[in-house]
Amino acid sequence: MKTEQAETSSNEGNEAAAGLGVGGGGAVSWARKITDIPEFGVVAACVLVFIVVTLVHHDFADIANLQVIGLDLADYGILAVGVSMVIMTSGIDLSPGSMVAFCSMCSAYVNVNWHWPVLFSILASLGIGIVVGFLHGWFITRLDVPPFAITLVTLTAAAGGALALTQGQPISGVSTFYDKLTLYDAFQVPIPVVIFVVVAFLAWVLMERTYIGRQIYAVGGNREAARLAGIPINRRLMLTYIVSGACAGLVGVLVIGRIGVGDPSVGSGWELDAIAASVIGGVSLYGGEGRIVGAAAGALLLMLINNALIVLNVSPFYQQVALGLVLGIAIVADRVRARSRGRARRGLPVFGAQGVPLAAASGASAEVGGQTPPE
Amino acid sequence: MQGDADGVSLHHVSKTYGLATVLQVEDLVFPFGKVVGLVGENGAGKSTLLGILAGTVAPNPGGVVSISGEQLATGSPIASQAAGVAMVSQEFPLVGQLSVTENLTLGNRPKDARRLFYDKKATTAAARRMIAAVGLDVDPRTPVSSLSIPTRQMLEVAKALGRDPRLLILDEPTSALGPTEAGAVIRIAREHAARGGAVIFVGHRLEEVREAADQVVVLRNGRLVAEMDVAEATDERLIREMVGVEHLASVTADRTGPVRPVPVFTATGLSAPGLGPISLSVNQGEVLGVAGLMGAGRSRLLHTIFGAIARTDGEMTLAGRPYAPRSPGAAVAAGVALVPEDRKQQSIIATAPVRWNVTLATLRGLTRRGFFTPRAEKARAAEFVKVTGARMASIEQPIGSLSGGNQQRVIFGKWFAAAPKLLLLDEPTRGVDVGAKAEIYELIDQARARGMAVIVASSELEELFHLSDQIVVLRTGRIGRVLARDEFSKERVLLTAAGVKESP
Repeated sequence: MKTEQAETSSNEGNEAAAGLGVGGGGAVSWARKITDIPEFGVVAACVLVFIVVTLVHHDFADIANLQVIGLDLADYGILAVGVSMVIMTSGIDLSPGSMVAFCSMCSAYVNVNWHWPVLFSILASLGIGIVVGFLHGWFITRLDVPPFAITLVTLTAAAGGALALTQGQPISGVSTFYDKLTLYDAFQVPIPVVIFVVVAFLAWVLMERTYIGRQIYAVGGNREAARLAGIPINRRLMLTYIVSGACAGLVGVLVIGRIGVGDPSVGSGWELDAIAASVIGGVSLYGGEGRIVGAAAGALLLMLINNALIVLNVSPFYQQVALGLVLGIAIVADRVRARSRGRARRGLPVFGAQGVPLAAASGASAEVGGQTPPE
Repeated sequence: MQGDADGVSLHHVSKTYGLATVLQVEDLVFPFGKVVGLVGENGAGKSTLLGILAGTVAPNPGGVVSISGEQLATGSPIASQAAGVAMVSQEFPLVGQLSVTENLTLGNRPKDARRLFYDKKATTAAARRMIAAVGLDVDPRTPVSSLSIPTRQMLEVAKALGRDPRLLILDEPTSALGPTEAGAVIRIAREHAARGGAVIFVGHRLEEVREAADQVVVLRNGRLVAEMDVAEATDERLIREMVGVEHLASVTADRTGPVRPVPVFTATGLSAPGLGPISLSVNQGEVLGVAGLMGAGRSRLLHTIFGAIARTDGEMTLAGRPYAPRSPGAAVAAGVALVPEDRKQQSIIATAPVRWNVTLATLRGLTRRGFFTPRAEKARAAEFVKVTGARMASIEQPIGSLSGGNQQRVIFGKWFAAAPKLLLLDEPTRGVDVGAKAEIYELIDQARARGMAVIVASSELEELFHLSDQIVVLRTGRIGRVLARDEFSKERVLLTAAGVKESP
């Protein structure tokens, strides 16, 4: 009863306030609203790339090619989701690429050499990711080690560990379940893509719909303020590194299926693509800003461009250059947008100065909206 | 119009921020060979005056600052430094990772050092001389970050002295120091004057000012109200000049206290590093003021109660139950809230929407099995924005785009939503304009009316007098005195804070 009342009155307040803020109505404000969505640019770029490349090269939109893009997207996208959560706390995780190699090698090793059932060998991959993520969190929160440094340690050591396990030899003879995981599809959508969508959705729910997710944003936005608001910042930081580690473990399972063997050299440099995807998707390296949707869309854009360059027969050297440029454009565009929004923001207090507290606005929305003096 | 050739002189110097004139000095001379003590309340204009001399504050056009007759180009720290002004501030602008030597010679290369490359030998020798000059005993290779606060303060003095300034400004140099180092600073000030330099010594501890200075200058409300020889500068006289005529009306304004005092919070022998033992109690609907000089432990007390600083000893109760928070999270869960001093650093998440900031501490209570609905969150945020009367175009606006006063109201809304039993306020009106101040006072009244017990720490005595039912005056981490509402007087507070026994 009481909450209901609060809700209705607040809605009035919001409407009145929104009316003041935007001023006009109709198509202009609708377009403004769309372009104000931070992820608008990335999504628009995805659509644009897809249309343009399809027009130039019809095979691009082939179901077979889209499935290839989808499989790539699953690998990079899952890593990007995990890494973006770390970046939202103003941290960084450099380990996912190496961890993919290490987790997949361990998983293949216990499956082949120790004859673990496939379910357990998959859990081993996830478990190692979680444990390493926990260790990252522990060093960062308890010993105050910079995230960059401790995850750099893992980047180096895990890559070496993957090679050391078999003296650099790939592990063959893994359970066919791994292959099935990547070969099967649901209505032509490869299973890894489904897994990616599920992971992204769960991460989205966590960040947007739970108090824990909000607290993660708060820790990234202003750690001291979060602490003094009673938020257990260490636990929240820890969680993001664990999620990122688990994502690497999951991708470790998926890559075995794609290659058919445990390959110690897989995953090298993937962490940078995952970070790039997050940044392209609008996740601020300063922390506290950005959304899972953006990171996922950023990964999609990277994969589309990557694949388009291959389909269009661009030399691999220029592929790298092109990807670098995309990242550069995304970063510049984000800054430009932030600055123009900053200008708009600076205009806003003018409304405040006219003396329109929400309380007054809700009570007298008609007068304020109409701007008609009482006499 | 030329200034005094034998010192640093100010003529017709003023500074205005918006409509407020914070400094208006007609004629003032800091003579060479003398130490001048500068005293005044918070907001009396001391920092502005020093800032103008150091070049960090640009005065209104028209005034003249001159050093031995030469006019100073005001508003430029470089010009001030070149003219021979060196200031030791209350902050320590030292680079923690660099060594003592590097810090001391940073931007001040010794004359005998080689030009192109870093001359380790010459710089180390110069640093040793500078350290010896202030009587410090540290290895010049030590990184500054590993030194104690008093040592860093002394390094600041050494750094300023190393420039061989014509005007040495010491801005509360002793507030971070123990008695021995304080004595050393006073000696340094006297020696520098004896060598023919002008020295300005700003201090809250009056006996130190008297010990250091040859003459004392008192500022009040931005104006020079008294200049006297140190022999005439008794505590009583200085404080009377600093305070002026008391606005008794506002101080004795009637206050209807709670009918039955219900103690909400008590502390017995509460201690933390640099604090305590402190015992106090606050009743429901009551405001306890905390006064004290900078570094007396005001913030420290609040942060210790809030669990943000680890308690070393003592006991607390909240609503009759034992209360021993090990983290701010535990304090919030128990029903304690803190509005910290530095809004930007410690309380707002500037880029996040107002909505997030309001629900930050209470979002969990809105969730069902950990999940919340945007609808419920918006309703909660709008409700408490409305309660505090914060003005904004939309609750989706980033809080950083609001004015200081409105930001503070949102922060109050955040804690009102948590309905705490005890509300801790650290400088609640810092950085808000005069109008917003009154509105924040209303919010504090509202908190009382909602049955919270409130503890307010503030450096503005008028504010404490206006708000508090009782005031504790802290001095070096302990309670120097407890004042009931009918005993409020600036004189009593300042005398206690400065550690002077009141004459009967």
